[in-house]
Amino acid sequence: MTEPRLKDEIERMKSDYEPLLPIEQKLIWFTFAAGVILLVALVLVSHAFVQ
Amino acid sequence: MPTQPKAGSQLDPMAMPIAFRQPSGRISEDWLAVCIGLLIFALSLGLLFGVDLLGWVVTTSVWTSPAKALVPASKQFAKLPAFLSLIGTYVFLLAILLIGAKALRANLPRFAASFTVFFFVSYGCWFLGNCAYLAATPDKRQALKIGWSLNLTNESGFIIALLAGLLIANLWPRACEKLQEAIRPELYIKTAIVILGGFLGIGALEQRQLATSIMFLGASAIIAAYLIYWPIVYFVSRRYFGFSREWAAPLSSGLSVCGVSAAIATGSAIKARPFVPIMVSSLVVIFAVVELMVLPFAAQHYLYGQPLAAGAWLGLAVKTDGAAVASGAIADSLIRAKALAATGVAYQPGWIMGVCTTVKVFIDVFIGVWAFVLAWVWSARIEPREGEKVKARQIWDRFPKFILGYVATFLLVLALGIAFPARVATIKASMAEANVFRALFFVMTFLAIGLLSNFRKLWQEGIAKLAGVYVLCLFGYIIWVGLLISWLFFHGVMPPVVKG
Repeated sequence: MTEPRLKDEIERMKSDYEPLLPIEQKLIWFTFAAGVILLVALVLVSHAFVQ
Repeated sequence: MPTQPKAGSQLDPMAMPIAFRQPSGRISEDWLAVCIGLLIFALSLGLLFGVDLLGWVVTTSVWTSPAKALVPASKQFAKLPAFLSLIGTYVFLLAILLIGAKALRANLPRFAASFTVFFFVSYGCWFLGNCAYLAATPDKRQALKIGWSLNLTNESGFIIALLAGLLIANLWPRACEKLQEAIRPELYIKTAIVILGGFLGIGALEQRQLATSIMFLGASAIIAAYLIYWPIVYFVSRRYFGFSREWAAPLSSGLSVCGVSAAIATGSAIKARPFVPIMVSSLVVIFAVVELMVLPFAAQHYLYGQPLAAGAWLGLAVKTDGAAVASGAIADSLIRAKALAATGVAYQPGWIMGVCTTVKVFIDVFIGVWAFVLAWVWSARIEPREGEKVKARQIWDRFPKFILGYVATFLLVLALGIAFPARVATIKASMAEANVFRALFFVMTFLAIGLLSNFRKLWQEGIAKLAGVYVLCLFGYIIWVGLLISWLFFHGVMPPVVKG
């Protein structure tokens, strides 16, 4: 059995570059925006009611 | 979830370290950790019925004379020679782990032999770490009749175990291979976390309001790991480093969420070849070692005025359960020692480690949910496959079961303390005995993490580009955002102070 080598994988990724799909971009920005909004909301809640 | 390797995936599973292999036994390491942790917890509660079942376990105090370092945990066993106490501890651990190894379908004679060496090397490191010149805090020097010490606390035994593991893995890889069966950091740390639940339950019993606040703040802080870290790491690895989706997703989860388990769960969720999460996991372990060596000391230096923010920061920044909880334990001792020396305030032990563990446990709880979300996005939108459905059951399959053990011991101690307030002192004594095992499992985790860190082999694999993403995102983004979030949620929240 042959073990795939990371070096070969990196070379393969260089030649077969996969561009970011629109759905990936959506996933990235939607997740990040949700994180920032939730963070602000939870910080406000924690300062108002918890600490 | 079984993976369907893509064409070209031909990694020999036997070539992987045991710690990264897919489970093949009757029970997963997760459930095994729950069983072992609960067994030790239950035995320690014998004190409530007037039976001291674990008092013989060996403890190591900070020593100037090696002959006086080892003693049995309970005064009831004061006449038991220290040597027998140590052997008894070894035999007990070997016996329960052999039963576990049988359930994991490990090679029992090989496990027994490698665990014997592994245990005594671990204990040797713990013993050295308790040397007064390394461990003693300034307030203890006079009692120990020494003029100086490095003020590293007895947790320096963990650092020594890590260094010993690194040395063996990188200088004597063949010796390391012979210990393979016993190198199970996930099993050891998960067992330790189950036991830790009871120990932290004692703290929560005495400070219920603070404990409730920490739960809420810890749960809030984890949104960082999933929603703020993950998309940026994924974007950087895809856009700037040119990694394929198959590599970028496990790498982002390993770096953002919780190291090895998250990388493996994500790899399965997006149907990556097994080779991918394994390479990522190896990298995660290496960098967890670097973080473990650096961040607790940085926390001691810069955050001793905000101890709980420091604990949360380590929970958010250090990857893998073992390294995170262990760094919390080191920081707990270092920060308390520094706060005592610099400000004269003596904080109660365990709270910094408790916050770190709480944050990490909450992160772990959601690994299954996150893997489910990624599996759905990948199968429905990114790489749709006809007739393939993502089942909600995956959330339970990926749920880290050891957390159930942690929650059970925590709640049981809390409930017992509330129901029988007159027995709180006995419950404390029980947890102190169980906690000796927790420290032993911790030190074994450190040695195991070191043993898994073969820098030379990874370098030969051509890990540099993968490490580039890791260094950039970890030290340029995750650590700083984690610090900001920990400060936002935990600044001004202080651990209780030792009375008297």
